[in-house]
Amino acid sequence: MKGDLRNKPHPRRAPGDSMIGPESGCQSVVDIARALRLSNPKLSRFDPMSRIIAFNDFDDGFCGWTQLVGNYEHTLDSMLPGYAQHTQPQLSNLANWDSGTHGSFDGNYALKIQTRPNKGAQNVALKRLTFREPGPIRLEFYFTFKPEATDLRLSETDVRSVGFLYDLQTGFEKGGTRVMPHVRFLNASDGVHLQKWQTKSRTAAMKPLGTEGKTVTHYHLAPTDWEDLPGGEQKLCYNEIPTKVNWHYVRYDFDLRTMRAISLRCNDREWDMSGVDPIVMPAMRNLWCMLNIAFFAEADTDKRTLLYVDSVCLSGEFT
Amino acid sequence: MMRQCVTAVVSRNETWTGAAASEPYECGWAGEAIVWLRCLGAKGKLAAARARVQISPDGMRWVDEGTRLKFPTKAGALTHARVAHFGNYLRVVANLPKGASAKILLTLTLKE
Repeated sequence: MKGDLRNKPHPRRAPGDSMIGPESGCQSVVDIARALRLSNPKLSRFDPMSRIIAFNDFDDGFCGWTQLVGNYEHTLDSMLPGYAQHTQPQLSNLANWDSGTHGSFDGNYALKIQTRPNKGAQNVALKRLTFREPGPIRLEFYFTFKPEATDLRLSETDVRSVGFLYDLQTGFEKGGTRVMPHVRFLNASDGVHLQKWQTKSRTAAMKPLGTEGKTVTHYHLAPTDWEDLPGGEQKLCYNEIPTKVNWHYVRYDFDLRTMRAISLRCNDREWDMSGVDPIVMPAMRNLWCMLNIAFFAEADTDKRTLLYVDSVCLSGEFT
Repeated sequence: MMRQCVTAVVSRNETWTGAAASEPYECGWAGEAIVWLRCLGAKGKLAAARARVQISPDGMRWVDEGTRLKFPTKAGALTHARVAHFGNYLRVVANLPKGASAKILLTLTLKE
């Protein structure tokens, strides 16, 4: 039969993958799992590693995505301003004043991360996990972004950036590290449409909070220290008015054993990330095996930036 | 299916003066909401102040929904209002008297 999966080589079959019997046409466990995934319309648009750690379709709710609240002690006033501006993510059906509900990638609802209407305003939504196997993980998601449609013009330079990050820490060990790879698509800056990917390998210094000596903070999304990803320019489909959106695919591979990125893909472009240093700092006493994933948005004008995500698949290579 | 229920902290530790408004919150998936307004600190005469619930067709243009709630007048005070049939967007606004201010925590309890 044309298109029969049994006759197609699997792109990621490892030498050790067990075959039940290739001569008889029986399939390997990997092929069966892949066929099942491809027959599921929700998962078929993803290419996960062997274990799916989390699959979040926002038609099912928030799925564990919440706002990034800053650290504080005794009073909320001690929270750094960068964190104080953050607000709750929303479930959005992408409703527009001129054309009604747009809907999400697949279904009605997407996760919406909305900034305040100020130039430089940021907002962050995250999911907090820990990891059980320090090995390769893959983050895949579909996203789109727009400014709030307050003007009857394209407004393509009103969104400064959208991006994602991991906040990771090694398992408990002497000399452990906290590692924070940051990736953003710098859409525009001061009205210039730049459209390029950037990363960060440095962050602001830690600042102690309060009087008990237990809490520190730093604002790792400060506008400083972003560096261009070599060859990272990319023209994303933006469409022609501020109420039309198109969804984009991202795949980001990272190795929890080496704590270094492997690769980044967005739509039809892919980059080798092995030479990109993440932010690294000494381990903190209470964050062992932390695996946090965050999405963030940043406005470049006094207009809300809206980042939509639908859906997210986090997978890992472990048995 | 179990009903979805979500707590959304819409304004945290914000100081409101004069004409103030919360950020828009899209929550059309929910059929009912309780608006909670907690005072974290206050100055001036707030006893007569009221907060108003507003709704919107697009998250940008707002009209009063009709529900009002007392403005909490001292730290620790909490007021609330129940809202239903609100469409897709909610926000809360207030006009505080001259010389008055309040640091607030505005929370929505949303349920399918």
